Amino acid sequence: MDIFLEGLSQVANISTVLWMSIGSVLGILLGALPGLTATMGVALMMPISFQLPAATGIGLLLAVYCGAVSGASIPAILLGIPGNPNAIATVEDGLLMTKRGLAGQALGGAVVASFIGGIGSLICLVLFSPLIAKMTLAFGPAEKTTLALVGLVVIASVSGDNIWKGLLMGALGMGLAFLGTDPYSAQLRIPFARYLATTPLAKGIDLTSALIGLFGISQVFLEMRRINLPAQKVPEVKIDNIFPSFRKILGMWKIILSSLGIGTLIGAIPGTGASIAVFMAHNSAKAIAANSKGKLDMPGTGVIEGVFAPEVANNAVTGGALIPALALGIPGDAATAVLIGALMIKGVTPGFHLFSTNMALVYAIFITMFIANVFMAVFQLAGVRIYPKVLNVPPQILMPIILILSFIGAYAIAGQATGVAIYNMGIALVMGLVGYFLKRDGYPIAPIVLGLILGGMFEENFRRAVKLAGGNYLVFFTKPICLLFIAFSILSVVLPIIARRRRGGKA
Amino acid sequence: MKKTAIALLMVGLMLVTTLISAGGTQELGFPDPEKSITIVVPHAAGGSTDLIFRALAEEMKKASGTNFIVTNITGAGSATGTNEVINGAADGYMLLGAGTHTTAATMQGLTAGYLELDYVAALNWDPFIIAVRNDKPWKTLADLINDAKSRPGKISLGNAGMGGATGVASVGINLAFSKSFNVTPFNGGADLIASVLGGHCDVGVFSQSEVVANQASFRPLAILTDAHSTLASLASVPTLSEAGYPGITIPGGSFRSIMVKKGTPEAAKKWLADTAEKAFNSAAFQKFMKDNGLIPVFSKLAEFKAYDATIIADYVPILKEAGLYKL
Repeated sequence: MDIFLEGLSQVANISTVLWMSIGSVLGILLGALPGLTATMGVALMMPISFQLPAATGIGLLLAVYCGAVSGASIPAILLGIPGNPNAIATVEDGLLMTKRGLAGQALGGAVVASFIGGIGSLICLVLFSPLIAKMTLAFGPAEKTTLALVGLVVIASVSGDNIWKGLLMGALGMGLAFLGTDPYSAQLRIPFARYLATTPLAKGIDLTSALIGLFGISQVFLEMRRINLPAQKVPEVKIDNIFPSFRKILGMWKIILSSLGIGTLIGAIPGTGASIAVFMAHNSAKAIAANSKGKLDMPGTGVIEGVFAPEVANNAVTGGALIPALALGIPGDAATAVLIGALMIKGVTPGFHLFSTNMALVYAIFITMFIANVFMAVFQLAGVRIYPKVLNVPPQILMPIILILSFIGAYAIAGQATGVAIYNMGIALVMGLVGYFLKRDGYPIAPIVLGLILGGMFEENFRRAVKLAGGNYLVFFTKPICLLFIAFSILSVVLPIIARRRRGGKA
Repeated sequence: MKKTAIALLMVGLMLVTTLISAGGTQELGFPDPEKSITIVVPHAAGGSTDLIFRALAEEMKKASGTNFIVTNITGAGSATGTNEVINGAADGYMLLGAGTHTTAATMQGLTAGYLELDYVAALNWDPFIIAVRNDKPWKTLADLINDAKSRPGKISLGNAGMGGATGVASVGINLAFSKSFNVTPFNGGADLIASVLGGHCDVGVFSQSEVVANQASFRPLAILTDAHSTLASLASVPTLSEAGYPGITIPGGSFRSIMVKKGTPEAAKKWLADTAEKAFNSAAFQKFMKDNGLIPVFSKLAEFKAYDATIIADYVPILKEAGLYKL
């Protein structure tokens, strides 16, 4: 208890509260702007954290981190443009809810869900850190390969009406993921290598730039096509009832728990991340809703369940990613890597001995994580009545602004490196054009993103696993976790087909 | 039609403002007080290379009054960040956080690297340590080597990526011990630590801070330098010759330095080297190096160039024998 109080005393000061409020607001803003990611926000604040006491500095970074993860849902819901990869699975239901005039409820629900996810994963962090850290170590290259396989199966469920179009897009995404550098030997692997070797294309397609193009810029082109058509009637946004009822939240307990578990665990496995977790959570919510005998609405049709699942999961990733970071000194994602760096600059080496030598600081980090989630919820809710006003802006003004913000976002990813930055703008533009034609002809976009994220992860870990096994390709069938994932992937593909056949048989 | 015109006008106006604000600053003596100097770190934020340059940048800022910014450009080993500097202007406003990763990437043909860069300042070495999980049967380096030789290719030796310094060190170890190991590259240091801790990979080549962070679970077998670690917790780790393998030299550490694009004016290079020297000698940076067990090897300009030539000479035979040399 004394140690807890000592930890509390490290953060119970006006400077911590002030910096964390600033961090929270900044995080939400960065999150809401397309292309500006949580990692970037945290890296941006890193030099400031050097000047602050360790606990305050970490508090500031955590506030930015939580805010940015949560803030990304705002443009995803209102405009169908995820602020960063954390919100890619929020787009589907969020945008449909906005079109039904339920933007207020979607935004409010997203905040509540983010808060539940953040606090839930914090509880896991406090109570089960050593256990979960040990579990994540069981995930070696072979296990991660099959985890990527499970993720790829989700493509089927984000494909919309036509599964073949979805698979085609997934393959396109995976193809894009293979461009650039061989992740294994670090040798070049691009067409026209002689000309492109010294350009940033040697690095491959940047995920965030691709997202900006596929979701943001393509939307601008689509809207420009519609600009001379009679204005669509924007449904009146009801903002009197922004919170889902307590009963509704309780009714979704299965979805919340499953998303929380997925988010925390995926967050804790290094080399994975929120962008995978959110799709898996959304997918699992569909399965839960299908078995709820009509008590839950089906995610994917513009309902709060479909916003809750990914938003619980992405903020659960924040707590999850801190588990290996604090317990093992291994970052769970890019943003926590920066957090570890900030601690090390302060002379604190995260890892096992942090818990035995500096428990006060660990408690202080837990407390700031709690505060970061509270601030995130408070500040984001404060704006819920304001954000939907963006829908009243006429498209001929809004769309150019989005276009410019998209390019600024793509540029900003590489910070001061103008060469890479300009190249990222190019990727965003090209992907924007690609996305425009695909959307126009009814091809789903989400599978491309999934393929892009998982393609690299699958390939890299597949090859590493085979190498570690001395060239044995059957290594995936010798490990229990792998077998579980493979079985799960096969069942998720086969069961719906059988179910459909049966239904077809009866009719 | 009118709406389209307004939309196009908006886009045009915004593009024009962006372009105006981006372009046109006048050249003055170096450094222009209005301009910031960027240090491109070709590795991810938060990693050990990043931290060294961030700590140094703070002190360079204090020593000169000029603003220094660290930016992380990752990808293709360290080639993407290196190419960014090479493709930029030779004006001294963009520095590369260089070192052995640059040497390795250049020799592997991933970037024009040091062939297109000029020398500013050599900073320090971070010695590597060979370590295994502490429940593994090998108590000493000799145990490990003997076991590896008795069943070649069965024991995996992981590094943090083929393009970097741990990659070269692991290849060097493998060559020194008649290619008995299964050398496997991982996606960065963190990935390697997790894989060794999880038992997926048997042996790893780590930097000191990585071993310190996981002291309860790792058993360090040898430090790959001539001298013991200056960190109290690793001071008892034997050197290669103490472990029974004298005469084997492996470039066993990562070296960090500052380089700029070839053709940068001499005055700018001198100013940068002097500023780096002041920052290097600051109490804060010296303490940072001591806390992290980094071995200082400061030299600048021509002196640094001569020093780097010795590193290159150490690297060439290893990369050639491993079939990685592409120059």
